[in-house]
Amino acid sequence: MSSFALPARQITFGRSNAPTQQQQHTFQQQQQQQQQQLQSQQFQQPQNGLALPGGGYSQPAASSGGLALPGPSPLSNSYTPSQGVQATVSTNAVAGPSTPPASTPAPSTPLTLEQQHITAVDGIVPTLQNIVATVNLDCRLDLKTIALHARNAEYNPKRFAAVIMRIREPKTTALIFASGKMVVTGAKSEDDSRLASRKYARIVQKLGFDAKFSEFKIQNIVGSCDVKFPIRLEGLAYSHGQFSSYEPELFPGLIYRMIKPKVVLLIFVSGKIVLTGAKVREEIYTAFNTIYTVLCEFRKP
Amino acid sequence: MATAYYEFYRGSSIGMALTDSLDELITSGAITPQLAMKVLQQFDKSLADTMVKQVKTKTTLKGHLHTYRLCDDVWTFIVKNASFKMESNEMVNAPKIKIIACKNGEAIEAGKK
Repeated sequence: MSSFALPARQITFGRSNAPTQQQQHTFQQQQQQQQQQLQSQQFQQPQNGLALPGGGYSQPAASSGGLALPGPSPLSNSYTPSQGVQATVSTNAVAGPSTPPASTPAPSTPLTLEQQHITAVDGIVPTLQNIVATVNLDCRLDLKTIALHARNAEYNPKRFAAVIMRIREPKTTALIFASGKMVVTGAKSEDDSRLASRKYARIVQKLGFDAKFSEFKIQNIVGSCDVKFPIRLEGLAYSHGQFSSYEPELFPGLIYRMIKPKVVLLIFVSGKIVLTGAKVREEIYTAFNTIYTVLCEFRKP
Repeated sequence: MATAYYEFYRGSSIGMALTDSLDELITSGAITPQLAMKVLQQFDKSLADTMVKQVKTKTTLKGHLHTYRLCDDVWTFIVKNASFKMESNEMVNAPKIKIIACKNGEAIEAGKK
């Protein structure tokens, strides 16, 4: 996997966006170690086994020094914390492969993952705020029957061609379409999302439809967190122009479209961050770890 | 009478009284059932209009919304442990109430226990 990712990254960061490169690196290394692949296969510089994360491929960008701590604001001071962070990330990653989570038994896995990531960046872990999933009930539905007989349902075909239904536990909202497709939103965890979807399917079943529970898929995960320091968005937008869009007259936050993992981040001056677009929770965590080092660099004095 | 009006006010105490009276009049042969129907239709319309235009009393309602439903432009709410606070600061409590609210021409109204 990592060897596969390699060329793509080189292309992406070919414009010598130094800091990002470095973080990507961190992530990369993390992956490498997780997968216990032969490190020698990658063209790692032989300096030292674990290396400064970022030691690897900084050659093109960092003409400054062999240390490979490049960055638009090369205050070496500002980098010290992040380095520490990176170190933890990599050691941490060895602890357990976090990649195949959904398949493993539910209750224990998320906790350990979170524990892993707690140490990952200064004790800040993004909180999951919303999970959107889709399900195919695989049967045509008469929405009016559903609206008339189910509780907590709204159906106004002039406005929207679906029944909007809510349940209290897990607190979620479902959009149920006549085709039998259903969208379930509002869950705070993958398990809740699945449980809620099952409950909706059961409600529809009880109304006399031959509903099945198929093709359950999580489509989006949203997380948020607070880095607890203000951020210079202009500086960030300038040096990460490739990924950033910052139009304070349109929206006060900076929109950061990370390529790997493919996650969109809304970054606010206050230090509050919203991460969205992830399909699995690990992407949220990795994206945050990646951005955190960048944010440290653009901390407002 | 072109537009149809909801008939649920016929179930209110004033509506029941009217229906009873009309029944009596029909049995005594004073009016025809057709006329009685016309009267009831007029009643539906008049009460709806009156509720909208002349009833200015307000009350605030608090409680736990147990169930809601919107279908065919009719909202149904079941509120548990409801307490009404009237304009006179009088409080009225009920363990469970059902509110039905529907569009009435340009307006909305309803309510029954």
